[in-house]
Amino acid sequence: MLRQIGRRLLTMIVTLFGVSIIIFLILRLLPGNEVTASLGVSAGLLSHSQLAALDRYYGIGKPFYEQYASWLGSILTGNLGVSLQSRIAVASLVGAALPVTLELAIAAMIIGEVIGVGFGVLGALHPAKLVDNLGQGVSVFGLSVPTFIIGTGMVTLLASVFHYFPSSEGFVSITADPWLNIQQIFFPALTLGLGIGAAIMKSTRTAILEVVGLNFVRTARGKGLSRRVVIWKHLLLAALIPVVTMSGIQLGYLLGGTVVVEDIFVLPGLGRLLITSINDRDFAVVQSVTLIYAAGFIAVNMLTDLLYTWIDPRTRA
Amino acid sequence: MSALAAGTPVDVLPSDGELDVPGARRQWVLRSLWRHPRGRIGCILVGVVVLAAVAGATGLTPYSALYQNTSAVLKAPSLGHPFGTDQFGRDELSFVMQGLWVTLEIACIAVAIAGTVGTIAGIVAGYLGRWTSAVIMRVTDMLFAIPAILLALAIVTALGPGWLNSALAIGVGYIPIFVRIVRGPVLSLRESAYIRAGRVLGFSPGRLLFRHILPNVSGIVAVQTTMALAWSILAEAALSFLGLGPPPPTASLGEMVSQSSSLAATAWWTLAAPSIAIVVAVIGFNLLGDGLRDAIDPRTQRH
Repeated sequence: MLRQIGRRLLTMIVTLFGVSIIIFLILRLLPGNEVTASLGVSAGLLSHSQLAALDRYYGIGKPFYEQYASWLGSILTGNLGVSLQSRIAVASLVGAALPVTLELAIAAMIIGEVIGVGFGVLGALHPAKLVDNLGQGVSVFGLSVPTFIIGTGMVTLLASVFHYFPSSEGFVSITADPWLNIQQIFFPALTLGLGIGAAIMKSTRTAILEVVGLNFVRTARGKGLSRRVVIWKHLLLAALIPVVTMSGIQLGYLLGGTVVVEDIFVLPGLGRLLITSINDRDFAVVQSVTLIYAAGFIAVNMLTDLLYTWIDPRTRA
Repeated sequence: MSALAAGTPVDVLPSDGELDVPGARRQWVLRSLWRHPRGRIGCILVGVVVLAAVAGATGLTPYSALYQNTSAVLKAPSLGHPFGTDQFGRDELSFVMQGLWVTLEIACIAVAIAGTVGTIAGIVAGYLGRWTSAVIMRVTDMLFAIPAILLALAIVTALGPGWLNSALAIGVGYIPIFVRIVRGPVLSLRESAYIRAGRVLGFSPGRLLFRHILPNVSGIVAVQTTMALAWSILAEAALSFLGLGPPPPTASLGEMVSQSSSLAATAWWTLAAPSIAIVVAVIGFNLLGDGLRDAIDPRTQRH
C-alpha cells in the first residue's frame, strides 16, 4: 500500500511538472506579454530605455526555458509572484481565496452525495415508485441543465420571489459568522450539487440494481440481518466502486464548475479570482491559479485510485 | 467496407448478404438509428436545432434579429412573440435563433479541430512504435490533467476573445478524449491479419493508417463527435457566459443567459429563451450520440 502511494505521488509530480510547462507555454508563447498586458496601448508611449527596463524586470527577451526555470523556481519556494493589477502578492490572494473554494467544493460534494446516493439507493429499492420517479426527474434535470443556467435561475428566484440576499453584506468566513456563512455557501453548493448528484444517482441506482438480486443479499437477509443493515452495509459496499468512480469524475468537473458558480453568486474564491485576473490580463495570477486547479484535479484522481485499493482488495496488484 | 475487414466490428452485423452492397452498412446504421427510441428523438431535436440555427444565420427569422421595436419592450410571450421580447424590444425567438448559429458554429469548428488532431494523434500513437506513442500519450495525460474548461479559459486569456479563438480553446480541451478513444482499437487492429498482409505487400504506413485503419475507427469517431458537440455547446455557452465569448454584436447563447440575469426577476422569458435553446441542443446531441453508438455497435444495446 505504502509503495503504491509512493508510486502514485511520483506520477503525480511528473504530471504536474508537465502541466506547468503546458500552462506556461500557453500563456507565454502566444502573442502579447506582461508589459503590453499591464500597460495596454500606453506601452507604445514608453521610451526605448523604459521598455528595456520593464522587459528586464519581467524577464522578457530571455530564452523561454530560462523564464520557465525562474517561474518554476519561485513556485517551488512558495513565491507565486505579484499581481500586476493589485500589486498584492499572488500567494496572499490565493491564500484568501482558496478556503472559500474548498468550502464550496466540499459542501457541493456533500449535497451531491446525499442527493445521489440517497435517491439512487431508494430509487433502486422501489423502482417506478414515487421516490424513483422523483429521483429520475431530478437526475434528468441535473444532467441536462448546465450549472450556469441553474445558478442564474436560483439567484433570480431567491432575490425576486423570496427577497433573500444572503450575500448582500459581502462574504463572511465560517469562523466569523458560521450561520451567515452557511447561508451564503448553501445555494451555490446546491447549484453545483444538483449536477454532481444527478450523475452519482445514475451510477448508484444501476450498481445497486446489479447486486440486489445476488445470493449474498438473500443470505444476509436469511441469517436474520435487518433490512436496514443489509441495504446500507452489504448492498452499498458491494456497489461502492462505481459510486466512487463517478464521484471522482464529478469532483473533477466540480472544480471547473466552481469558476462559474463563484462568478454568479459573487463568492470571493479562486474561480472569481481567476475570472477577474483574466479580464485584467493579469498573467501571474492566471498562471498560478490554473496550476492550483490542475494540482487539485490530479490529487483528486490519485485519491480516487487509492480509494479503489482500499475498498476492493482485489485491485491491490 | 471491404471483405478484408473481417475480424473488425463488421462481423457483429447480421450476415444476410445485404452488407456486400456498397453503402449498405451506412444505410443499415441510419435505419437502426431511426428505430432506436432515444436516437430518433435525438435526430429530431438536432434537426430542429440545426434548422433554427441556419434560419437564424440566413435571416429567415420571424423578425429581423436586431430590429428594435421600442413600443414592445420586455413583452411576455404571446402569439406574435412566442419567446417574448427583450429590453430593447427585440424578438427573443429571432435573437435566440441567431445566437444558436453563433454557438453551433463555434462548437462545430472546435469539434473539427479536436476530432482531426485527436484522431490522427490517436491512430499514430496506436500504430507507431514505442517512443512516438509514449510521447503522444504523456502529452495527452498532461492535457487531460487540466480541467477542460480551465484550459479553455487559459487559451482564451492568451489569445484574446474572438470566435475562432473560442473554438480553438474549446477544441484543445477535447483532443485527449479523441486520442484515448481512437488509440485502443488501433492497438488491436495493428495486429490483425489484413493489416499485416498490407505491411507484407509493402503498403506505406500512410496508406495503411488512413486507407485501412481509419475506416475501422470511423464509427467510434462519429459517436464521439456527436458527444463532443454536446460538450462544446455547453463549453462555448459557459465561456461566453463568463464574458469570454465572441465580442459584440455577435451574441451567443451563453452571453444572452448572462445578460438576462439582471432582467430575469421581472422578465423570466429572457432567461428561459436562451436556456431552452442550450438545453434542447445539448440533449439532442447526447441522445443522437446514444442512438448512434447502439446503431454502430449493437452489443451495447441491452444497456
